[in-house]
Formats: sequence, C-alpha cells, structure tokens
Amino acid sequence: MQRRHFLILGSLLGASPYIEAKAQSAFSKKFENVKSTIAAVQEHMFPQGSKIPSAREMNTIRFLFETVEHKSYDKDIRAFVLEGAQELIDREKGKFNTMTAAEKEKALRGFEETNYGRNWLSRIMTLTMEGLFSAPVYGSNQKEAGWKALSAYGGEPKPTVRYVAL
Amino acid sequence: MTTVKYDVVIVGSGASGGAVAYTLAKAGYKVAVLEKGRLLKREEFSKDELAYCRRDIVTPSLFDEYHVIEERVDGKWESTPTYDSGWSFWNGNVVGGSSNFMSGMLHRMHPDDFRLKSKYGAIEGANVVDWPISYEEMEPYYLQAEELVGISGKYQKHPAEPPRSTADFTQPPTNENAVVKLLDKSCRELDITPLVTPRAVLSRDKGHRNACYYSNFCGSYGCSSGAKGSSREALLMPALATGNLTLKSNTYVKSLHTSRKDAVDYAVVVDTISGKEEKIYAKMFVVAAQAHESARLLLNSANALHPNGLGNSSGELGKNLVFSAGGSGEGELHEDSLKEIKFEELMQTGLFVNRSILDWYFIDHWWDGKFKGGSVEFMFEHQNIISRARKNNEENGKMVWGTVLGEKLTERFTKSKKIRFEIFNDWLPNDNCFVSLDKNHKDKYGMPVGKLRLEGHPQDLKVGKYIAKKCEKVLEEMGAQNVYSSVSSAPPQNLVAGGCRFGNDPKTSVLNKYCQSHDVANLFVADASFMPTGGSVPYTWTIYANAFRVADHIKKKLKAL
Repeated sequence: MQRRHFLILGSLLGASPYIEAKAQSAFSKKFENVKSTIAAVQEHMFPQGSKIPSAREMNTIRFLFETVEHKSYDKDIRAFVLEGAQELIDREKGKFNTMTAAEKEKALRGFEETNYGRNWLSRIMTLTMEGLFSAPVYGSNQKEAGWKALSAYGGEPKPTVRYVAL
Repeated sequence: MTTVKYDVVIVGSGASGGAVAYTLAKAGYKVAVLEKGRLLKREEFSKDELAYCRRDIVTPSLFDEYHVIEERVDGKWESTPTYDSGWSFWNGNVVGGSSNFMSGMLHRMHPDDFRLKSKYGAIEGANVVDWPISYEEMEPYYLQAEELVGISGKYQKHPAEPPRSTADFTQPPTNENAVVKLLDKSCRELDITPLVTPRAVLSRDKGHRNACYYSNFCGSYGCSSGAKGSSREALLMPALATGNLTLKSNTYVKSLHTSRKDAVDYAVVVDTISGKEEKIYAKMFVVAAQAHESARLLLNSANALHPNGLGNSSGELGKNLVFSAGGSGEGELHEDSLKEIKFEELMQTGLFVNRSILDWYFIDHWWDGKFKGGSVEFMFEHQNIISRARKNNEENGKMVWGTVLGEKLTERFTKSKKIRFEIFNDWLPNDNCFVSLDKNHKDKYGMPVGKLRLEGHPQDLKVGKYIAKKCEKVLEEMGAQNVYSSVSSAPPQNLVAGGCRFGNDPKTSVLNKYCQSHDVANLFVADASFMPTGGSVPYTWTIYANAFRVADHIKKKLKAL
C-alpha cells in the first residue's frame, strides 16, 4: 500500500487535508498547540513506575520535536504527527490532557480502533522509543538509562554528534 | 580542445569499482572514480542506530532520488514510486558503496553455478543460461579477493564447497559465540554438516587495517577498525596511496556520451554540491554503479547512434535482474530452557555465529527429487536496540504500552536471544524481472528514474520453503521456541545483479566474457550486472573476484593501446 494512502486511510475526518508545514518556524507554532497532548500520550505509553524510563523523566517530547521539526524528516509524517494529535484533541473534545489514567486508556484504545488512530499512535510510540533507546547524544536516553533498563548497549564508538550534523 | 586526463573513468566506488581502481592504479594507470555520495572516513563512522539504520544518512532522500517498483497485484501490474512505499533500492551511496555496510558473509560460487543450464536443464519460464566462463577461470580472482579484501575462514572439505588453489584462508575465522557448540551439536544430531562461514572481516591486523573489535553492530554499520573488507578500506585507500587515483565524490553521472558508435568520449557529470555540470574524458569507461543503476545509466545514455540505450543492440539491457534471496526464519533461545551452554555465554555480545550449511546446495533425493537447492547462514537477530524494542510492542493485534510494555521489553531483552537463518537460493531470471526507464518520473537531476518490474519464479519459492523446513528442524533441535520461517517472492534490495548479462553471442547478451560491451569497445560494466544467474550464495565475493578479472583484461587492453 502506498504510504500516503496508508497514513490517511480511515481518517476520522474522511478527506481531512494535510497540514502544510512549509517552514520549520510554522511547524514550531503549530506544534505548540498540540505539544501537551502528544506529551500526555507519550507519558501514558511510557509512565513512571515502569521497568523502563518514563517519557516525562527522559523528556521525550523534546526529542520528538527536534526530530520531526528538522528539515531532513519526512514532511508527510511531520504533518501527520500534528494532524493526528489534533484529531485526538477534537475526538476527546479538548479534555484528553486532564483525563485520569483510566480515562486516557479508554480514549487511546478507542482511537486505536481506527486505522488512522492506530497509525498515529504507532508513530508516536516509534518516535518515543527512538528517543529512549538511541544514543545519549540525542538527549532522551539520559545517562544511558534506556539501555541500562534493557541491559542492551549501543556499540562503540558512540556518536558524538547527531546525524543531522553529519 | 579537450584533454583526456584519465586512462580510465570508473562510475561507482563499491566492491567492483574499487577492485578495478585498485588494479589499474597499482599498474600505473591514471584512474578517476566518480561517486555520487560523499566520503565518510573510518573515524567518522559510529554505531548510531538512528543515523545508519533509521534515517537517510548514507542513501539519497527518496523524495530526491527514487525508483518506481512494478509488482503484480491481483493479476495486474501496479507501479509505486519508492517515495510512496518507502521501499528503498539504495544501498549505501557513499565512497565504498554498500560494501561499507555489508555483514560480510561470503561464499565462492560452486563450479556448477557457472553451468546451471547444462547441469540441471532448462526450467519453464526461467531464462537460465550457462556462463561463458568456468569456475576455473574465476578461481585465481576468488583467491585474489580473499587475500586483498581480507576474508577470514576455515576450509572444510564438503561436496558443495568449491575447490581452492590454496589449502586454507590466511586469516583464521573471527571469534565465535558459544552458541556454535549448541548449533554444531544440533546439526550433527540431524546428520547435517555445519561449516564455518567465510567472512569479509579481519580476525588479525592487516596493513593499515586493524582486526575486528567485536562491536556487536557490524552489518548496516561502517567499520571503525577497518576490519570489514569494504572497497573503501581494502582497495580505494591503497589505490589512493599510489597517487594514480583521483577520487571524485559528490559526483553524479548523468550519461555517457558517444559521438561515434563504438566509443564513449566522456561522462556528463554534475557536482552534487554546486550543481555544476562538466564533461570527464577518458580512454576507457567502466560502469560499476550497482546492477539496476548501471543499466539505468546506459539506458539514459541513448542517442541517435544508440537509440535503445548504450550497448543495447541485443535489446537485453536491463533484462533478467536477479537477487540474492531465498527466505529466512528464527527462533528464541530462552534462559530457562537453554541446553549445552550457559545463558551468560549466549548473551555475550559481539561474537559471530559463523555457521553455514551447504548440505542442500544440490538436492538429489529419492523422494524429494533432483534440483538445485541453496545455502544457509546462521546469525543472531540484528542487535539494533530500537528496532528490537519496536518489534515487541504488540500482542493479540493490540499495541502494548504502559507498565506492561516495560515488563515485556525487559523480559525480551534479558531472558532470551533470537537466532536466525537466512536462505540463499537461485533467483531464477525471468521475463518479469527487469529494469527500464520510467516515462514519467525524473530524479532531482532531471534524469528518468529506473523502473523495476519485480517477480520471482515459482521454483524460487519451492526451493526456499524446502530448505526453510529443514532449518526450522535445526532450531527446534537447539531447543528454540516460537520457531517460524518466511519465504516470499519479494526480493531483498541489498544485492541486485543482472541487467547486462555477459555471453559469447552479441545477439543475446550485452557484454562479452570480459564484461566489455559487445557494441562499444571502450565500455565495460564491472559490477554484478554481468551475472546471468546468481548462484545459491550471497555473491559479493563473486562481484569482487570478477571485477579483478575484468580489471586484468582492461590492463592488457591499455597496455596494447
């Protein structure tokens, strides 16, 4: 299946248009509107008290923003990250962030029932795991906490600069 | 007035381009290697999973450069640009090409692989032909590659193991994980002979290259000790040291220009940084851009003298692509049920599995019948952390998250280890596996992109499934759990061959036995394009060996000029 079709298939809004993120600054502004919701989803997926480091503790929202915002990142997925978050906000009538854990679980499982929601949640999980388990230079595997939790360590030499600087 | 600065221009710096450059530069000829990608030096490589395995750092962005893939869906051919599917057919576009990132499991092809049709007969729907050369002609070059590239291993006599002109490898095998004790014992229980895998990784220091330091992240990554036998480390660096090689990285070749029918005058190139276009003249031109891209370049070089593409009087250019494929499978070795070895030994990182099975290379069985089979490599699951974690976040069709995910991941990473097998059998050349030019799509340099029609032959699947069942039994004998295999007709894109098959008849082949164009005397194609069939092994060793053979011939031609 073609990637763009895959991304939008089952959208709750049907033919909802892509959000055009033509410039990084434009993306930054739009991201601010959905940042807390994406962070709340990450924290629900990777909560405190788990055997792996929490999203909040590792500041994975920052990793997600820096990754998706960069010009080298796929522009369609960049738009999809924003659009999916907005759909979750709309679907839950703006209340997702203030829900209890049980309510968030119900809301996200409901979102997961749709192809669109599942794809978006999967993308958020991938971006969060990339932060938690990538080299510490990327900022969200602080003091190798993600690697220590799994007893699996990246090889030597570790990167000293992020790939965007290569 | 134009100046011919170079004796030879080589398009591409991977395994074959490196071998030709090495040979000719060492012989004193002025050589230019044109490489689209940049130069990444040994000290610039790191084990950065994000960079090398999850982003386009060493391959072009698919929005800039891509292919169109044509597959049969519900009986109809459907085309999808790879920027839509994400199915990239780039394999390491930096100096040294994909050889920088190989796992290095190499085998020589068997003598019968050179005469597949004579030995096994024609197969309906498959365009199998014998090679115009024999294993004996290739053997000295297999040896040359073994020594120069630095292939480590241990020769063991076996009916499917090709003969050698030396007793054994000069580099002993790389260090092995204790799991080989369990694997060897399990194979013997099943009356199977496990063999040590030859590997293009140094176990001992060699010149400017240091021995393997067992980083645990070999395949898909550049090597930080120089142990891996990449074209860059093993061939281009020594070639540069001669002073005869000019390495032009960030140089994209748009076409080869001919002003008369039998000779290329110059390459039309673009500096990928500045966008400046120039012409590079030489006495001889060697195309080594990886099979599907080499055919594309020759097709894009069509002009009034060569209306169907350069060197395509046969009409065979781009036809009969083949891949190094077969299938794969895996199983889990768990701490609580592990036999023969300690769990701590199994979990030791960095050491190789280094085991192959060639017992099913040729099948001649009273019940199963007589047919060409394939080879098998064993290895651990790739140790990438993000991708392993990512594969374990689903259960019963639902995503797993929260504390349950934490439990699942720590259990998965600390209580078990996956062992895999990969099968390699002939990808039979057929009429529905070829590259042509797409009429609608162009890359960012304005050149038509390659359109790859891909379809395997039913026999490929039959052989793959036959061997996979046997490999599953090996894993079960080892005590592995959740054993399964997958055999599919979708080709792996990392080893592409064919498209410019060689042969003695100019009417049915693009190249002669020396990989020289039948039509254009100063044009050679040195990469895997020449292969009419790919054998039942990963064929990188053959690519290296054949390029040394071709280079020897070019050297003689240059001397005669």
